[in-house]
Amino acid sequence: MAGSGEAIPRIYLDNAATTPLDPQVRAAMLAALDACAGNASAMHAPGRRARERIEAARADVAALIRAPADSIVFTSGATESDNLAILGGARGNRARGRHLVSLRTEHRAVLDACQALEREGFAVTLLVPGPDGLLDPAALAAALTPKTTLVSVMLVNNETGVVQDIAALAAVCRARGVLVHVDAAQAAGRVPIDVGALDVDLISLSAHKVHGPVGVGALYVRRTPRPTLEPLQYGGGQEGGLRSGSLAAHQIAGMGEAFRLATADGERESARLQGLAERLWTLLEGLGGVHLNGHRTRRAPHIVNVSFEGVDGEALLLELEGLIVASGAACSAESGEPSYVLRALGRPDALAQASLRFSLGRFSTAADVEAAATRVRAGLTRLRGLAPP
Amino acid sequence: MSAGEAYSEEVRRLFREAPAAGRAAGAGWVAAEATEPLTGTRVRWHLRSEGGVITDARYQVRGCPHTVAAAALAAAALKGLPIGAAAIDFAAIAQRLRAPAAKRGRFFVIQDALHAALLLFDAPSA
Repeated sequence: MAGSGEAIPRIYLDNAATTPLDPQVRAAMLAALDACAGNASAMHAPGRRARERIEAARADVAALIRAPADSIVFTSGATESDNLAILGGARGNRARGRHLVSLRTEHRAVLDACQALEREGFAVTLLVPGPDGLLDPAALAAALTPKTTLVSVMLVNNETGVVQDIAALAAVCRARGVLVHVDAAQAAGRVPIDVGALDVDLISLSAHKVHGPVGVGALYVRRTPRPTLEPLQYGGGQEGGLRSGSLAAHQIAGMGEAFRLATADGERESARLQGLAERLWTLLEGLGGVHLNGHRTRRAPHIVNVSFEGVDGEALLLELEGLIVASGAACSAESGEPSYVLRALGRPDALAQASLRFSLGRFSTAADVEAAATRVRAGLTRLRGLAPP
Repeated sequence: MSAGEAYSEEVRRLFREAPAAGRAAGAGWVAAEATEPLTGTRVRWHLRSEGGVITDARYQVRGCPHTVAAAALAAAALKGLPIGAAAIDFAAIAQRLRAPAAKRGRFFVIQDALHAALLLFDAPSA
């Protein structure tokens, strides 16, 4: 997606952070803004129109994960969904036990929610996946105790793109009566999600990772057996009492349209992205001293995370100005620490720090990939030339 | 994010041009290196002296843009300094480059490498 009007053409390959709004989604949101003036909780006609839009969107979101529409709870985004699942699930089941299990490579929304629970007296076990990013179901089984009530594992890792075998992990939990939460923010629209096949209780979803708007997400909550969740906020009792607050019809309409588009074109788009990602990796691998982070094949089609020998990640990022990607280095320089996800996979600090995440989206093209690889080659050559031997 | 937004114009220029970067060897030259493993920062100084005065300074660096820029400024400041008084004010450089606090630790790598190189002037082989 190259733009114009700037000295350096921009190539946006940071779709794992957020995706550009699809024009069809924008149109659906504008239509909802015009049509849905009423509060969806009200009985009058404008309220009913808003509710109809919301329920249509609910069905579209549910369809992507093959779930019943009434299992979808709208939230402000995947972070809130993660918090509702983890805090709500743990607190709602504390009479049964106060132990949770997750992974060191989870998103901060999960890790920080777990940390908050520790301050409330819960025990949290954070497992370390293998060097390929995959969690062995046997390791999960060994971590469960009679007091474990909830396990949280993401389907697609947001940094490496590694796809966990959720069905196998969930089977371990199911046998022990443990709730399973899955953060699928990176997975939706990129890998197939079938709640029946996965057999999990809670799934976090985000709109803006699927070319929808920022500020809206959803939590899938299994209907039968329905997990006990304690709400995080109270008020009007919307969303089955799990998420009080007036619903933002235009945001939800946008999420519905984004998920409808992803369902309609998911398989073909995933295959296209996989082809682009393979091409990118082939080009980068040829530069030498380059390492793919995460499992070689069990990965989402849109993420290629690469570590480069002999350079600093932040320097590489500046060298590649105009190429919009994520870095394993802390570019904001608040922490200066390399990626905790890559460190958990055993990458040495220098390599974890010198990593870039290229993530593709609907508007990424083959030309973007070729241009990105060309810029990386030039940047790598200059920076390696600056470095001591 | 665009990485460029995190840096001043001067940092961007020094990073891009890296003046006096490179290696040098031969009569009168010494070289020494320091490393910081957490970030992988590495700096190697190449210094030449005549009559107890530093006449040339080059550097090789694997580091963030602020580190490259700081090394470039230090190299320029070193020329003409007496070996025994070749002190660089890295706090002033950090301030000039508007380096965030978390970055300033990396400047110690430049400083450590510099100290190691200066000590070589006193060594018998120098």
